[in-house]
Amino acid sequence: MPLLDAEVKEEVARRLGTLTGPVRLVMFTQEIECEYCSETRQLVQEVADLSAHVTATVYDLVADSARADELGVDKIPAIAVIGERDYGIRFYGIPSGYEFTSLLAAMETAAAGEVDLAQATLETLSRLSTPVHMQVFVTPTCPYCPQAVVLAHKMAVASPMVQSDMISAQEFPHLAMKYQVMGVPRTVINEVTHIEGAADEPVVLEKLREALRARREEQ
Amino acid sequence: MSTDFVIGESSEPQTYDVVVIGGGPAGASAAIYTARADLTTLVIDKGLTAGAMGMASKIANYPGLPEPIAGTDLVRRIRDQARSFGASFVDGKVLRVDLKAEPKRAWTGSAEYRGRAMIIATGAMGRTNRFAGEDRLLGRGVSYCATCDAAFFRDRTVAVAGNSDEAIDEALTLTRFASRVHFLNPRADFLAPEGLVDELRAHEKITVHPSTRIKEIVGDTGVEAIHVVGRGREEIIDVAGIFIYLQGNVPITDYLDGQLPTSGEGCIVVDTTFQTEVEGVFAVGDVLCTHVKQAAISAAEGVTAAIAVDRHLHGREGLRPDWSR
Repeated sequence: MPLLDAEVKEEVARRLGTLTGPVRLVMFTQEIECEYCSETRQLVQEVADLSAHVTATVYDLVADSARADELGVDKIPAIAVIGERDYGIRFYGIPSGYEFTSLLAAMETAAAGEVDLAQATLETLSRLSTPVHMQVFVTPTCPYCPQAVVLAHKMAVASPMVQSDMISAQEFPHLAMKYQVMGVPRTVINEVTHIEGAADEPVVLEKLREALRARREEQ
Repeated sequence: MSTDFVIGESSEPQTYDVVVIGGGPAGASAAIYTARADLTTLVIDKGLTAGAMGMASKIANYPGLPEPIAGTDLVRRIRDQARSFGASFVDGKVLRVDLKAEPKRAWTGSAEYRGRAMIIATGAMGRTNRFAGEDRLLGRGVSYCATCDAAFFRDRTVAVAGNSDEAIDEALTLTRFASRVHFLNPRADFLAPEGLVDELRAHEKITVHPSTRIKEIVGDTGVEAIHVVGRGREEIIDVAGIFIYLQGNVPITDYLDGQLPTSGEGCIVVDTTFQTEVEGVFAVGDVLCTHVKQAAISAAEGVTAAIAVDRHLHGREGLRPDWSR
């Protein structure tokens, strides 16, 4: 039974029809699939079927560990959204509910390979010399979460030093516990700073700078 | 967990002639006139009882309506009239805007909306004071979205503060996860449809505390309890989470992020045509300090702004910005 109904498929096909470049959805599962692995696998395949610009590839986290290592994927279900290059856009957990919006936005951003961030943000990102890891915890019923996820993914596209993950708090409760997630969206930057809620770009930029300062002080 | 798939607006969403933020008497009346002027019109609104009219049980002085009418019924009639001329309404809470862009843009959590002109009509039900402990424990048990965060409170005791239909809906959502929900109503009555209130009162997991206000949210690294006062007593209730849906009386302008100048009282500053300092952006109703809080006056301001929007979009003849008011 398809996950996407006819109406959603029509709208997705319309949106993906405007993609300006190829997009690869690289999905990771394993032989004995996790709770939402089969649905996530089915989702990427259904989405890929709706556009000639989109291809879906499914890997096994264990059997294809070299590929997983290459993309830095360490948990499933995972989707890497790859455009002309791997920009570091990741989804951990099924992008259902409001997060389906984030998946479509990520595909559009990866296809374009460029983003509409503020000049101050682009300048800061262009000067990065150390990796930045943004983890955005979400729930599928959170209407505020896509704003945080989309911004983090745009930052990943803007800088090869940034990797941004959407993480489903319900599918990865150990991570939710580790990062003390009791509300979403919650963005964790480099394990040291965090943002509650869907903050505006200047707020996120300041938190990113704070994380960079903290790293420099550590060194 | 939900496996529905929500599609937000596309990267190139439709551009309306007019986007109205807020669907109370001011915003909905503006929509009547812009839609009737054949301008494509979209109204984004949080809900029928979210604004001041949700608190008005009887309005008896609205011109042309001699029989007393509930505030929500009056708004519903104005909206229906706007729809009859082609205006569209969407449910949503605008989180941010870009007023300098052309077209102007507004974002809810899941969608972007664009308008050649924009009318701000979000009223003055914003909260003023924060509770002790609220900011510090945000994301540590303090939440404003049960739909988002309820799953983190499975088998825990939580509280909801509010008395609107939004607060009740969110409390009912929480019952699917939490073991007990304390509903703290700051008033003796509710500002919500009777059926919804009945559902709240009848729910076995919900304890309703009428006339009860929060004094402090207690906790070290996370919410542990709330200190409440009401009906001559004070009480500490152990909870792991507190979901807040309270209203105040300051203009709701936080989502504008300083893009429009405001007065010392936080009100948006407009000229005589209700245009703000940003061309093509108008503000009407309770977000203005010069405004007298009456539904008829809000409606009249909405109409005046709508006519100015029509002129603005069809050339500037007749528009004379006046910053004297």
